[in-house]
Amino acid sequence: MSSLFVNIFNGIVIGTIYALSALGISLILGAMNVMNFAHGEFYIFGAYFSYFFSRSLGFSPLIAILLSLGLIFWIGFLVEKTLIHSTYGNLMDSLIITFILSIVLQNIALIIFGPYPKKPPSWIIGSINVLDLFYYSSQRLITFIVAVLLLILFFIVMNKTWFGKIVRAISADREVASLMGINCDKVNSFSFGFGVALAGVAGAIISPIFGVTPMGGVGIGLTSVVVVVLGGMGSFKGCVIGGLLLGIIENIGVAYISSGYRNIFGFIILILILLFRPSGLFGTTIK
Amino acid sequence: MWKLKGENISKSFGGVTALKEVNFGIKEGEIVGLIGPNGAGKTTLFNVVAGVYRPDKGSIYLDDENVTNLNSHQLCRKGIARTFQIPRPFPELTCLENIMVSIIGREEKIHNSNEKLKEAKKFLKFVDLDNYGNILAKNLNLIQKKRLEVARALATNPKIMLLDEVFAGLNNTEIRDAVKLIERMKNEFEITQFWIEHVMGVIMEIAERIIVLDNGEKISEGKPIEVARDPKVIEAYLGDTDV
Amino acid sequence: MKKSNKNLLLVIFLGIVVCLPFLLDDYWLHVAILTLFYVIMASSWNLLAGYTGQVSFAHAAFAAIGAYISGILSVQMSISPLITLLFGSVIAAIFGLGLGLLCLKMGGIYLSLTTLGFSEIVHIIIKNEYEITRGTMGLEVPNLLGFYSKTAYFYIMLLVTFIIIFFLAKLIKSDHGLKFKSVLNDELAASSIGIDTVKVRVIAFTISSAIAGFAGGLYGHYLLLITPEMSSLSQMFMILAMTIIGGMGTLSGPIAGAVFLQVLSEYIRIFGKFHLLLFGVISLLVIKFAPGGIVGLYRKITQSKTDPLKIETQSKYDY
Ligand SMILES: Nc1ncnc2c1ncn2[C@@H]1O[C@H](COP(=O)(O)OP(=O)(O)OP(=O)(O)O)[C@@H](O)[C@H]1O
Ligand SMILES: [Mg+2]
Repeated sequence: MSSLFVNIFNGIVIGTIYALSALGISLILGAMNVMNFAHGEFYIFGAYFSYFFSRSLGFSPLIAILLSLGLIFWIGFLVEKTLIHSTYGNLMDSLIITFILSIVLQNIALIIFGPYPKKPPSWIIGSINVLDLFYYSSQRLITFIVAVLLLILFFIVMNKTWFGKIVRAISADREVASLMGINCDKVNSFSFGFGVALAGVAGAIISPIFGVTPMGGVGIGLTSVVVVVLGGMGSFKGCVIGGLLLGIIENIGVAYISSGYRNIFGFIILILILLFRPSGLFGTTIK
Repeated sequence: MWKLKGENISKSFGGVTALKEVNFGIKEGEIVGLIGPNGAGKTTLFNVVAGVYRPDKGSIYLDDENVTNLNSHQLCRKGIARTFQIPRPFPELTCLENIMVSIIGREEKIHNSNEKLKEAKKFLKFVDLDNYGNILAKNLNLIQKKRLEVARALATNPKIMLLDEVFAGLNNTEIRDAVKLIERMKNEFEITQFWIEHVMGVIMEIAERIIVLDNGEKISEGKPIEVARDPKVIEAYLGDTDV
Repeated sequence: MKKSNKNLLLVIFLGIVVCLPFLLDDYWLHVAILTLFYVIMASSWNLLAGYTGQVSFAHAAFAAIGAYISGILSVQMSISPLITLLFGSVIAAIFGLGLGLLCLKMGGIYLSLTTLGFSEIVHIIIKNEYEITRGTMGLEVPNLLGFYSKTAYFYIMLLVTFIIIFFLAKLIKSDHGLKFKSVLNDELAASSIGIDTVKVRVIAFTISSAIAGFAGGLYGHYLLLITPEMSSLSQMFMILAMTIIGGMGTLSGPIAGAVFLQVLSEYIRIFGKFHLLLFGVISLLVIKFAPGGIVGLYRKITQSKTDPLKIETQSKYDY
């Protein structure tokens, strides 16, 4: 019984990571109408940077994560300016470009960091007795708490700040937003930077647990996309619930079937959604 | 008795109600005008009729058959053709190819390719673009694009044509040409026409009946002179700065 | 360029290609065979992306499906590869049809994300179902002909490539091709004049999947050892890069791109691990600065020399 609890709780922890990453995709999709297939690669670079700052330069984990977050934001910002911007309005080009970008980034990671997993240092050691039900690793627990805080912060930014309101206005109706005098172009670079930074920070905080490899972004990128479709394109709430749901399903599935098939559950869910509820849990389909 | 009929059509986008319980009917062979100020919902009504959007409520009948849930291409095969407010010819295809697509789209079983080509040329000639057959559509000017689009729509062999602001952006002589085209369309092809115009100009001379939309609601309907005198219509247009 | 000139060039080019086994050593003949495989793959992916505007990321996966189905059937049931090859192609087509029907009514973005997922899943299944696929060890499959001859295989590949290119050329020139292009140009306008855009896209996707499955089978029975690498995203990327660098939306583009990248790969062998990175950067540069690829550049050069007005009337698509 306690192993079921552990699996569910593991699922919730990883689910918050999926949710963070998926929110990034959703934000970019809503604000720019771009499906970012290189999202997983920003996730692994978030992890690699935090590894680099903490292990190689000796910064404390928190500082390393913040530095990594800032760096990913700027890389995203520049990527939007140089590559994505010109594809604006052309969905096919943006799909192709972000796919190529994912291959390029994977190979840069491979060349710089090598094929073997890298792990930033843990923030904390030991484990905690949870309600006398099971022992749980303190690192996982604290990662979970940080992820939840970040999710809350995201919703505060989207609901309370000027940037959030503008992005929501653009997502709702691009034409109306531009009629209201919003400069969509300027918002684009910020949105892309912000969106990939969400993936980056997700990667940075989870990597002390799982480590990171150059190809590790493929799975998480796909999972995030599935979460967005599951939650419903355009729905931030859907990303969170979809992320948690998928995290739990995956962990239970892996425990009872096979760990080699972790990513298959996401795909099966994707197919089921496409068959029975294309608009996802809370959203609408986009054209 | 109606060729095309809409009953209680409502459509909203998010918070914006574009159409509210709109009823309309068009008889065979009629030319009906649809006017209204900016954002009145005219184009939305066309899009609902042509199957681009599903109405939230209400039904559309073509020859008394309920066609509300058909897709664009199915409606086209049933005889509804349309043009777009901002013309959308296939930019990377030549003018002739643009029209060929319509002819192919009919999916007629017996048809050899020479005949198709001849027919396509006939439609190009109808809109005076016969010298532009091999030019890519993106190289045409706005008026030529509009004409190409009319030809492309005609080539689907429609029974009803929905025309969205064919006169916008045209000068007086060009409008005269366009009017001739419209009249020939009625006489040579016997097509029922439903027509959007933003301003109450030429349409008042040609249309047999006018429907006026404002804020998604039908506010008036009748003969052009009656409509032009209707205080509700005058009021709606007073608020509109474009006139 | 004048038509007769163009034809002459084509004949010379074909003549050289046919003579290749006598001009190349064993190793380069191997490269030539691989190139032909990529020509087929890039050309059929181009039918999708270049002519109907849908981006599938499962093209390599379909090839792997073709190769593994054909391989497994021929190994386990001792059926001649000449027959199992067709099975592989049909199964790939069925998967293509299914995925197409599932996603295409909802617009292109769903096809891209679903095929990306599908491609990963195929990869994972091949790796994990060790008992059937031999996992990362690779599956040994019989030779197509029953005897080993590079020269013979080259001619088979060449013949198949010809047939497929010829078929694609005919298809693109046909009424179906015009429908494809209308959907690529403007989906809304196409459906407004009676084109069933979903059907058109599903047809294109199924055809291209079938071709990929067939090519994959041929490739497998040449290599004699097939590995999960066939279905990897790196493979997919190579196909995509070849099409883009050669010139998407033209018949000759994918051919030029496949030849260019294959030959380039051979010359930069020493930089092994930089391959994909380099090709990625080249494709990004091409998209940004020469979106027509090699073919587009070539046309620009020859056209500006002959007749500037001609640009106006030249259809972007090959005829
Ligand atoms: N796809 C859409 N998404 C959201 N809102 C829309 C959409 N299409 C139309 N609207 C809104 O519906 C209302 C009616 O628009 P519509 O284009 O039908 O007006 P119109 O009468 O054709 O105006 P115009 O004379 O400017 O062409 C407008 O407020 C418009 O913003
Ligand atoms: Mg309008």
